[in-house]
Amino acid sequence: MIELRDIRKTYTVGKEQIDVLKSIRLTIEEGEFTAIMGPSGSGKSTLMNIIGCLDKQTSGQYLLNGENISDYEDTALARVRNQSIGFVFQQFQLLPRLTALRNVELPMIYNGIGKRERLERAAEALRKVGLSDRMEHLPNALSGGQKQRVAIARAIVNQPQIILADEPTGALDTKTSISIMEQFVKLNEEGTTVVLVTHEPEIADYTNRTITVRDGEIVANDGRR
Amino acid sequence: MSLMENIKMALSSLKAHKLRSVLTMLGIIIGVGAVIIVVAIGQGGEAVLKSQITGAGNTVELFYQPSEEELQANPSVLYEAAFTSEDIRMLETIPEVKQVVASSSEYSSIRYREQTGDSSVFGINQAYMDLNNLEIEEGQGFSEADFRSGRRAALISYSLQEKFFEGQSPIGEVIRIGNQPVEIIGVLAKPTGLFAFGSMDIYLPFNTWKMVFGKDDVTQMTLQATSADHIQAVAEKATFQLNQLHNTEDSYMVINMEEMAEGIGQITRIMTIIIGSIAGISLFVGGIGVMNIMLVSVTERTREIGIRMALGATRTQVLTQFLIEAIILTLIGGMIGILLGWGVSGIVASFAGWPSLISWQVVVGGIVFSMVIGIIFGLLPANKASKLDPIEALRYE
Repeated sequence: MIELRDIRKTYTVGKEQIDVLKSIRLTIEEGEFTAIMGPSGSGKSTLMNIIGCLDKQTSGQYLLNGENISDYEDTALARVRNQSIGFVFQQFQLLPRLTALRNVELPMIYNGIGKRERLERAAEALRKVGLSDRMEHLPNALSGGQKQRVAIARAIVNQPQIILADEPTGALDTKTSISIMEQFVKLNEEGTTVVLVTHEPEIADYTNRTITVRDGEIVANDGRR
Repeated sequence: MSLMENIKMALSSLKAHKLRSVLTMLGIIIGVGAVIIVVAIGQGGEAVLKSQITGAGNTVELFYQPSEEELQANPSVLYEAAFTSEDIRMLETIPEVKQVVASSSEYSSIRYREQTGDSSVFGINQAYMDLNNLEIEEGQGFSEADFRSGRRAALISYSLQEKFFEGQSPIGEVIRIGNQPVEIIGVLAKPTGLFAFGSMDIYLPFNTWKMVFGKDDVTQMTLQATSADHIQAVAEKATFQLNQLHNTEDSYMVINMEEMAEGIGQITRIMTIIIGSIAGISLFVGGIGVMNIMLVSVTERTREIGIRMALGATRTQVLTQFLIEAIILTLIGGMIGILLGWGVSGIVASFAGWPSLISWQVVVGGIVFSMVIGIIFGLLPANKASKLDPIEALRYE
């Protein structure tokens, strides 16, 4: 499903060239639950951004569902983000002035779905993450765990094939983290491919496969199960 | 994403920052309001000036400008009256002429008991009464019989009444023009309007005036056409016939009041354009205010823009969102400005005593112009928003 071929990412700072990613080769199959681990500065976030089409590689090829999306224009990449990928961020990234329901509705607005269907599907997604009684709350009236569940609802509402989660439990306590991870496990069991970036081994333990990145290279690629 | 969706999103985002939105609109409100006020008052003033100059309208004034030869043949021609009663009768036969307004004037000493003074004495015909709207304050005006018979009756101006009678009723009193007695039957109302000043005047029926001064002169003649379309025809026929009758070459001419009014209209239009462009500058400044706030708003909402992009908003959609916000801001501001301008110019007009003219062109122009300002000044901030890097934007604190 996700195939990265010799992905490189280079930043030029002044006269110096910094290789953030050095020739990454990686394949993630449909239905996998993968963790990307590594210390800060290892390039794991950049890798994540490239997989999520938020960033573009300097060279190499990115095949999504067998389609080479390396040369896609901004507009086409926005479509891929909208329909094929759901993001969950460490800082939740909810719009503070919109209610939980309206936040979840957003991706469908950009997908051109009619108002009634949007509201129905947003309510359904919130019900799925156990927040049917918090739909009309603004984000700052919600706890950290609730905010992250709104974010998960938003990520799945367009029914993407891939969920990308960047340190989804980084801002949460242990107990809340467990309940959030259970959400991801459930989603994965339903068939969604989940890729999460973390530096906590306990979080990585929920997954079936751990990819370790260090200094822009994949140093370990362990499948479990 | 539909336009409706965009507009709703923009409205909710503007509602979220009420104070800021209102303050931003203020520049546009004042700008559009000022333009509307200037144009409305300018057009109202122009209408008033024109109507005061043309009077009841559809009139041409005839006058006599002797040529060199005529002056050489008779050097005193300038001091003689240009028209006669015969001319009036002839001009009345022109089909497009509704009425001939004729008057004669003479400056004369007057006397009431022991008081003496000087006054203009006008001999007027019935048409003059109709056209010049001489209002009677006290007593009564001339009847048709008075004009025909040459009754020794007089109307006096308000100033004359104040000077000679000091608040007592002058009706029925006899005043002497030179040595000729006339009976005062009415007092004219105090004149109002732009060119009004109180002068000592006496009005007599034309036939009476002829008897008092012993001459048959008409010093001023104005023709009223049956309609505005006939003014030109009346002017041409009247001057042709007068020149033929008096055996002169183009010495009888017309002053077309419409033309003068047109000239004054041009002056007020130029004034309106000058003041209007000054008001336009304030609209421009208002536009810059919108741009400033939108730029601040883009910076402040960097993270929101990042989120929207991550969720699948294209750059065009982000650009459209901010552009529509700017347009709605200026559009609402423009509409409030139009209402404000309408109200203020109405108040000003009621104090100045002239109509406030707000045409639909001005209203439509105001709305379109404020939208254009929204587009022009919203483009830069919207473009900036659409060019953001989503990763950077998501990290923005």
